[in-house]
Amino acid sequence: MRPSRTSYPLSWRLMDALEAVAAAVWPRSFSAAVPWLMLLPAVVLVGLLVLGLWDMADGSFRTLDTATFLPSDDYSLTNYHRAFTEKLFFTVASRSLIGSLIVTAVTLIFAFPYSYVMVRTRSAALRKFLLIALFLPFFIGQVVRAYGWLIILGSQGMVNEALGLVGVAPIRLLYNYPAVLFGLVQYMLPFAVLMLAPALTAIPEEMEAAAGSLGANWVRTFIHVVLPLAKPGFIGAGLVVMTLSLTDFAIPAILGGGSQDFIANAIYDQFFRTSDQGMGATLALLLVAVGSIMVGVVFALFGAGTLAMGRSK
Amino acid sequence: MKGDRSKAVTLWTFVIAALVMLSAPTLVVLGASFTAGNMITFPPEGLSLKWYAAIAGATDLRDAFLRSVIVATICTAISIPTGTLAGIALAKYRVRFVAGVQVYLLLPFTIPLIGSGIGLMLIFGKWGLLGQLWPVGVACAVINLPFMIWAVTASAASLDPDLELAAANCGAPPLSTFLAVTIPAVTPGIITGALLMFILALNEFLVSLLLVDARIVTLPVQIYNSIRSIITPDLAAISVVFIAVAAIAIALLDWLVGLDIFLKSK
Repeated sequence: MRPSRTSYPLSWRLMDALEAVAAAVWPRSFSAAVPWLMLLPAVVLVGLLVLGLWDMADGSFRTLDTATFLPSDDYSLTNYHRAFTEKLFFTVASRSLIGSLIVTAVTLIFAFPYSYVMVRTRSAALRKFLLIALFLPFFIGQVVRAYGWLIILGSQGMVNEALGLVGVAPIRLLYNYPAVLFGLVQYMLPFAVLMLAPALTAIPEEMEAAAGSLGANWVRTFIHVVLPLAKPGFIGAGLVVMTLSLTDFAIPAILGGGSQDFIANAIYDQFFRTSDQGMGATLALLLVAVGSIMVGVVFALFGAGTLAMGRSK
Repeated sequence: MKGDRSKAVTLWTFVIAALVMLSAPTLVVLGASFTAGNMITFPPEGLSLKWYAAIAGATDLRDAFLRSVIVATICTAISIPTGTLAGIALAKYRVRFVAGVQVYLLLPFTIPLIGSGIGLMLIFGKWGLLGQLWPVGVACAVINLPFMIWAVTASAASLDPDLELAAANCGAPPLSTFLAVTIPAVTPGIITGALLMFILALNEFLVSLLLVDARIVTLPVQIYNSIRSIITPDLAAISVVFIAVAAIAIALLDWLVGLDIFLKSK
């Protein structure tokens, strides 16, 4: 005798009900729209950012009324004019831009050997050790790491105490430009290594062996084989490091001690110190524009590198 | 091969320098948290756990930590379904205007954090949501969403479309196929992404700084505010909480999906 329907496991009946609901809500004829339905929540979530940008654009055209301390009702380009002419903003912008270029170069120089050794080593234990050493700071967050540097580099910190033992007077290691750049390199290293590693994995080791057997020494093998093949990784890593360090807030704030402000710190000050929302919104929008143009140019020239999401081509 | 020795020496010089740079702050914070003195000095004035006792009694630090955990939980809960669906959609289907969709979904990544944070602060302010914790969680989900999508698409690449067809061929309706074939195939990606989202939200500083007020500071903001005044060892002790959480997350990641997943090429 055929068992009655009720003897089916509960999970079967549950799934059947769910399928029925799904089929009723979303008939097969809609199936072409399924991917869009799946993308919808993400699109809505990111939409919050677009709304925010819109609000900032609106605010950027309003100047601060110094009598009432409220944004003006009428629109003008005054804030943009100020952003391009005032010396303070120029100083901050060039400091951040030059800083991010230096940080990118130094970070890539350190990240390449690290990911190369990590990818090529035969020892699984060494690989795991290198990965853990990379993920630990990555997962700890900027504030705690900057705090660590304060302890190490402070005027009564480790380095100065050690120098004191050999009779060297304390040096000011903190609250200057190199300290900020150093902190940024340390912050960016895990990002750069993690973006480079997949590109290096993709290079067959035989290629290097082939170059070696044809008489190239390791330097030439690196320059002519490994580095060109790793280009997508370098693009992705360089791009991420550059935009993140250009726009960073915590490291310049903590290790720069207020004297080494980057653009993000200037924007924050406009909102929370000067209370000039319009000016702050203008600077933030300009920063968004610079960041997007940088990303856009690199994508257009080299493709998205390792940053592409979706179907592998 | 010629010059193997010089190659190893050069590479290892950089690797060791990088290792020192990466680990120094963590090790020093760990060491400083066990000091017996009232100041952080070197060499430390003996060992003690008194700063851990001090933070256990400090309600402001404990509350700030709890708030950070709540924010991270909300962020993870939002981003798991959102990022998984979007990631599968991008990896599996030929979406029209896919380039446009990709650029749009990369916005949280290309828009600098300060820009995203201020934008969200303005609209949350307009909607009267500031001063609560859940909008901070939503904000963290928004700004870190690309990480979740990347993690899922990376593992969806290994999903063979024939498997789904086979399931359908055996009579499985679409939802069952999705739950029994598609989702298990991308589970490593979901786990990686979820862990990343949790950790990133737990550590999120700038967007928290912009969205919280004095009553609901999260732990990174609390530490930042305290650093400005004076460096005392209780901050080192509370920072060790972050180090411990990071270590647990790494252990989980390694156990569940293996850290090597980050070395795979697409």
